[in-house]
Amino acid sequence: MKKILAALLAAAMTLSLAACGGGNGGQSNTPPAGGSGTPSPAPAPSGDKASLNVIAAQYGDLTKDWWAKFESDFNSSHDNIDLKVEVVSWNDIYTVVNTRISNNAAPDILNIDVFADYQADDLLRPIKDFVSDETYAKFYPAFLEQSNIDGTIWAIPDLASARAMYYNADILEAAGAEVPTTWAELKTACEKIKAYDANIYPWGVDMTTDEGQACFAYYSWTNGGDFMDASGNWTLNSAENVEAVEYIVGLVKAGLTNSDPATETRYDLQELFAAGKLAMMIGPNQITSYVEGKDNPINFGIASIPANEGKSTSSVGVMDRFMVFDKEDTDDKVDAIKEFFDCFYEDKVYSDWVIMENFLPATSTGGEIMAAADPAAASWIEIVGSAKFYPTAQAKWADVKQGVIDVEQQALLGGNVKELLDGLQAKIAG
Amino acid sequence: MSTKTPAAPADRQVQTASPRLPNPGSRKFFRTIEPYIWIAPSIILMAIFIVTPIFKVFQLSMNKVTRAGKLKGFNNFENFTTVIKDPSFALVLKNTILWTVAVVVLSTLLGFILALFLNNEFKGRKVARAIVVFPWATTLVIQASAWKFIVNTDYGTLNTLLMRMGIISAPMNWTSTPAAWFGWEIACGIFVTIPFVCFCVLSGLQSIDASYYEAATVDGAGYFQKLFKITLPLVKSSLTVSTVLNIIYVFNSFPIIWTMTKGDPANRTDTLVTYLYKLAFYNGKQGEASAVSVIGFIILLMCASVYMIYTLRKGDEDL
Repeated sequence: MKKILAALLAAAMTLSLAACGGGNGGQSNTPPAGGSGTPSPAPAPSGDKASLNVIAAQYGDLTKDWWAKFESDFNSSHDNIDLKVEVVSWNDIYTVVNTRISNNAAPDILNIDVFADYQADDLLRPIKDFVSDETYAKFYPAFLEQSNIDGTIWAIPDLASARAMYYNADILEAAGAEVPTTWAELKTACEKIKAYDANIYPWGVDMTTDEGQACFAYYSWTNGGDFMDASGNWTLNSAENVEAVEYIVGLVKAGLTNSDPATETRYDLQELFAAGKLAMMIGPNQITSYVEGKDNPINFGIASIPANEGKSTSSVGVMDRFMVFDKEDTDDKVDAIKEFFDCFYEDKVYSDWVIMENFLPATSTGGEIMAAADPAAASWIEIVGSAKFYPTAQAKWADVKQGVIDVEQQALLGGNVKELLDGLQAKIAG
Repeated sequence: MSTKTPAAPADRQVQTASPRLPNPGSRKFFRTIEPYIWIAPSIILMAIFIVTPIFKVFQLSMNKVTRAGKLKGFNNFENFTTVIKDPSFALVLKNTILWTVAVVVLSTLLGFILALFLNNEFKGRKVARAIVVFPWATTLVIQASAWKFIVNTDYGTLNTLLMRMGIISAPMNWTSTPAAWFGWEIACGIFVTIPFVCFCVLSGLQSIDASYYEAATVDGAGYFQKLFKITLPLVKSSLTVSTVLNIIYVFNSFPIIWTMTKGDPANRTDTLVTYLYKLAFYNGKQGEASAVSVIGFIILLMCASVYMIYTLRKGDEDL
């Protein structure tokens, strides 16, 4: 029996030596290593362990397995921490988190897209207190700024994705159209494609409840407009935004887009694009692997989103985050959380995760590793580095998001864009 | 034998007396509470899974609720006034009534006709009945996805079928307007509701004694006279039950509309349930979503009350 126990202890010690990142603050409870012949002290009972509960969003089929392995590796290399990662689907995560909060059982760490609502309820702690300086230095500063409220950074990015224009090179060539760079060129290209084959949709538009806000951003940002101005005031009814919505609704009404933008999601569009029934669309980096994974992949290219004459193009970035809930943590717990982030953002572990999820990294070191491994990813990493993001730090963002989708859909049904945006501006800013 | 005989009753008396409860009062008490013990598990389950959520929804609807789900106290019915003042609410309420009435009325009518047909003796009747069950046995999300696929302009089977039959030469857009989408959603709702009505009516039809029809035939009654004077009055109870249950199910139905349009465009195909789901989980307005839920609950309660009053007045045998 003693031999078995000794063997187990030896195994535990070996694993702890293999701890990722070497362990700094988190190892403060670990007894100093004894002489080679000295038996190790018994591991601390589970009651003394710092318990760490994490809720993570499920990005794909492999997310659960990846986190299960991370949890197992982390726990076996950290005797003083008991990590539990619960992976929850995007459909349920908001309900699960809100239920936990109302039952005073919020997780220690949460991985989700929004953070301002939790911050508004004083539920979060400034993230800088829970991330080691070494790890904190890895993030793109522009990404960290997206989680800035009143000068404090409340969350760190876990991954990102960016949007660009995809085009079917064969259709454009056959129709005699150039890859468009401006709105006027885009309309001309659409008309040529329509004339070439009326059964092909020239341009893909998604104005659904799922992602209609992205559609607003594509045309507003490439027309010099925005959701807010530099002073933080809402500018939803600016002349640029009105022109942007009128432009895209005009394309729909001219029959140059997919037939039903209010109910056809981005996933419907990428299916049409991969099947060669849609010539051009704006979409995220994942479309590349989706199209290439098909039996007869189409010949496609990627270009910047067309901008209005005299205006500059802009990519739309989307980012998710980690945040830490305020639970009056002890020093041990703070150290455990730092250790968790150090392990997760360890370059190899992190790039492995981002590549597995097919997203783009939020750290410069992760970006370098991915760019070196895959030249195609390099251009995307460059795009995401300069992308604009939604104003998710604003507590009214959820209302704005639903509001612009409603404006687009009303405009499709014949509503006056200027009046609709004036109404939304009055509702949000007033 | 004779000497042992008198002893036997005494033994039995002792044996029968031993398992008795201490006194007749306890036994009476046990008998009084016995029914409650039997129904206690149901009551407890209902309290946990029905009463508690209803209480919670009422509580949320009357409180200011933050997006993170925190209750910030009674807000003077502000959630209700905000919801009712929103112009989209009237549209959604109108859609809900149209959706419920259209699906319930048409599925009841078609289900009744189908039940009359399936009640006849014909070869393959069992197979036909089994086929009717299929839409009922399939998940609503799958049904709605299938309907969405059928009417799709680009790869839908309806266009493919019509083109192969030479009826149309190019794909048609069957969902060009919100009204068209809503029409298809109602059609899907009717399709999945018919089996329930059909089997409710069929159970009523099978309990009708054939002698009624024989007597009516002898008296010279025609098909429609028999239908309206015998069949309808005798299946009325089945029809009432199926209609009341359908009103509740259809009113609260979520998957068909959510799978096909998510209530888009601009709430034109939303019903109260999809609307409150969007309010709660897309807009983070749980208080307002709960207020919509309470309004829906009150409307259904009124419908159910009409039914309850009707049943109580008529008595069980009449229904």
